[in-house]
Amino acid sequence: MARYSKKDLKRLFWRSWPLMGCFNFERLQSQGFVYALMPFLKDLYPKKEDFVAAMKRHLVFFNTTPQCGPFIMGTTLAMEEEYANNPETFDVNAINEVKAALMGPLAGIGDSFFWGTFRLIGAGIGAPMAAKGNPLGILIFILVYNIPNFYVRWKGTFLGYEQGVNFLTNASESGTFEKLTEAAKIVGLVVIGGMVASMVAVSTPLTIGSAEGKIVIQDVINSIFPNLLPLLTTLGVWALLKKKVSTTIVLVVILALGILCKYIGVL
Amino acid sequence: MLVKALLLGILAGLAQLDSRIAGDNMLSRPIVTGIIVGLILGDVKTGIIMGGSLELVMMGFVGIGVSAPADVNVGGILGTAFAILSGLDTKTAVALALPVSILAEFFGTFIRTVNIYFQHMADKSADKGDYKGVERSLWYGVVLFFVTPLVVVFIGVMYGSEAAANLVKMIPQQIMDGLSVAAGALPAIGMALLLELTYDKKYAGYLALGFVLASYLKLDSLAIALIGTIIAYIFYQTSKTKEGAL
Repeated sequence: MARYSKKDLKRLFWRSWPLMGCFNFERLQSQGFVYALMPFLKDLYPKKEDFVAAMKRHLVFFNTTPQCGPFIMGTTLAMEEEYANNPETFDVNAINEVKAALMGPLAGIGDSFFWGTFRLIGAGIGAPMAAKGNPLGILIFILVYNIPNFYVRWKGTFLGYEQGVNFLTNASESGTFEKLTEAAKIVGLVVIGGMVASMVAVSTPLTIGSAEGKIVIQDVINSIFPNLLPLLTTLGVWALLKKKVSTTIVLVVILALGILCKYIGVL
Repeated sequence: MLVKALLLGILAGLAQLDSRIAGDNMLSRPIVTGIIVGLILGDVKTGIIMGGSLELVMMGFVGIGVSAPADVNVGGILGTAFAILSGLDTKTAVALALPVSILAEFFGTFIRTVNIYFQHMADKSADKGDYKGVERSLWYGVVLFFVTPLVVVFIGVMYGSEAAANLVKMIPQQIMDGLSVAAGALPAIGMALLLELTYDKKYAGYLALGFVLASYLKLDSLAIALIGTIIAYIFYQTSKTKEGAL
């Protein structure tokens, strides 16, 4: 029934790589998406006007997490094939409707997993190792991110083509996407919580009293609420970001406060 | 120097292409480019250390959707190169790399704007049925994505490393000490950006849990990540069964 073999789909996988090649502010990944499907569109529509219409159909706004791109391309290919076979009965508008319905939710779940979880865990373990001069940290970072990255891109190509629309209907009916996104958020937040404590370094040299009666304030903080200062710093920066203060200004504020607080001896 | 600057530029161009024509494998992150900068400049150890330190600070700088807060690629490579060439200590180099990467984002905006022109070229080619033209228009964007960071890093290394060294020599020690203190606090920006991305009031408890595991139990990142994964797995399984019971 299906027109394209595993070998053809491998080609789709390779053609999906330059998705972001001409990323732009107007239609984002549109050209990359057309590029991936091009040989298939050419094959499906031997008549020039059909081929032109197909190219233009996909030269529209497209944006998703790159790791989810191959799945959407596979699904789109299956629908294009359906349309090429039954141009009278298949509603061509459905193709872009399904694409639009897929790219948003898949970007949500993809960003949570790839940016917010795999990359974060890889960097969370690898970066402190590398910062101490251990090259193994780099390898850990690359592997933790890229094993799921290549698995999802490779599998997604075939899964999208073979059962894209069905898979999607089932998954959205059972709420799998929401649950997966929420699960990714949980891992992400636990890891971020840990990193606030382990990676933000703020402490105070202040002391109360002098000579033998001296109380070191940082010791008091450590015994009651360790990493209180890093926590407050992070919450402060977050509050600024929430108020739409740009990262540039936040950076300047931190540099200025660092210099000032060091000068007066608070930090 | 010319050759080294050129090699670093090519590295920046290739690293940028990782996310453009290879599906984004995170090879442009400072933790990965750091060691290569070190190889090019003959100080692998500093390259690794700078890469890891910059990654800690820039971890939260993510390019989701249309815009990115900073060009982590260019900033990471230049920061590491300055640390080696100008002999800056790690903390100063990190504090210097951040403004550099924020400034460099201007060029990212430039590329994404110019690419709109290539997008329109693709439209015109498609109208004519010239599919090769449509494909070619994509590669024009790729060329721009390769050349721009190459030029920025080349010029940055050629003219910036000496300026950075002089700048740091001019700055009084008190201010340098202050910058070191600030460098320790800088990862807070990354963490706050990550919170903007993932935080959900419903799950505030998990954030607190991670903090407590690290602060009071002194667990490392790997242990915390594993605990987080187990909790998420249990959450996923139980919410699935609940759904099935209904």
